[in-house]
Amino acid sequence: MNTPADEGNHNLRYAEYVLGVLDADARAEVAHEVRTSGEAATAVALWQRRLQPLAEEITEVAPAPYVWARIHDALQLDAPPRAVPRKRLWDNLALWHWLGLGASAVAVALLLVVALPRRVAAPPPTTAAVAYMASTIKQDNGTTGWTATMDLQHARMVVVPAAPATLAQGRAPELWLIPAGQKPIAVGMISRDQPTTLTLAPALLAQLGPTAALAVSVEPPGGSPTGQPTGPVIAKGAIGAAPEAGGDKVAGTARGQTERTRA
Amino acid sequence: MTVTRVAEYEELNRLLQQAGRSDQQAFAELYRHTSSKLFGVCLRMLRDRGAAEEVLQEVYITVWNRAASFDAAKASAITWLTTLSRNKAIDRLRQHREELPDDPRTLEEAIDEQPSPAAQAQTSQEHRRLTDCLDALEPQQRSSVREAFFTGATYNELATRCQVPLGTMKSWIRRSLMQLRTCLDS
Repeated sequence: MNTPADEGNHNLRYAEYVLGVLDADARAEVAHEVRTSGEAATAVALWQRRLQPLAEEITEVAPAPYVWARIHDALQLDAPPRAVPRKRLWDNLALWHWLGLGASAVAVALLLVVALPRRVAAPPPTTAAVAYMASTIKQDNGTTGWTATMDLQHARMVVVPAAPATLAQGRAPELWLIPAGQKPIAVGMISRDQPTTLTLAPALLAQLGPTAALAVSVEPPGGSPTGQPTGPVIAKGAIGAAPEAGGDKVAGTARGQTERTRA
Repeated sequence: MTVTRVAEYEELNRLLQQAGRSDQQAFAELYRHTSSKLFGVCLRMLRDRGAAEEVLQEVYITVWNRAASFDAAKASAITWLTTLSRNKAIDRLRQHREELPDDPRTLEEAIDEQPSPAAQAQTSQEHRRLTDCLDALEPQQRSSVREAFFTGATYNELATRCQVPLGTMKSWIRRSLMQLRTCLDS
């Protein structure tokens, strides 16, 4: 008996495929046809257009954030997993290298520019200086060993090597904070060849100020075993609250740098 | 279709085309705009969050690798993406059939899953046309088609759920599909 269902059965297989009722083997056959025959591909596309609007009824459900992280990892994408945040100047390594070579006045002038909204031509108000402090940590021979910049708001310090002296094998530089008239407080181990970011504990943060100093001593790689410097102090620097010095020329240079790093 | 929807769909087409040129930003943006929809599709078919997450991950990896083959003249990005998701979810269902949780729902319950009138007002002209054509089918056949579309069940599974012989289910569905084609293409 010829039922209506028997007629055009071939075309109906494409409809059944789109609807999703075929078993694994029959599905694989149609999928293969779709890949190898233009006619099959067109027939399937036509059925998709007919039936797909039903999918509009499906309620949206937000997937967990780690799903995107997994996709991101699996594809080895470069961009950060979440909405790409605008790269902050603070996080820019090139800037820190550049900063490491300059005097702290330059560093401070730059930070003033950073701390302010872009395109502010007027001299920065003094309140902007409060968020950052800087220190040029000079070695005994007068050359700058490191430049340290402290972000008070985020309780962190970035220490950038400029031209630190070579240390003996198996020794490493450790950074100390020395409040006026008090014992040194360990800040952390720093690197001789790349910027180090250190978190500032609240106790440490409270001691930061124009009367305190930073010092670097030579210690075992894991740091001083006693909690106080055990090796020679090789560099020292005063901590400056960001002054208004620096001038337009420096600020101008810094702004140029800002534009480039944001580009 | 509303103006907003058209604009939204065109934006998705653009993002998918850009992803096809290895634009990672566009790909991330496409994910933000479409992942909830596609996750909804996977979850509805697989009924298991972990499995749906795995399939969603597979879907977007495929999107990234195959976006270059997307042709906006043949299908919209959202159709392309939904089709891909349904296919991946159905493939998964066929591979892991034994792991599927039992489905205690009857077809009558499935009918209740039709969108509310308010939700329906949000849907496209194409959707309204399709539901009008579905409404012209016998109730049992209409629910079989809807159940098949949303759950990815095989003829065998549908027949079991509906407690009818396999042959009956096949003829219900096939007859419905032919009627739908006539109705939609008229």
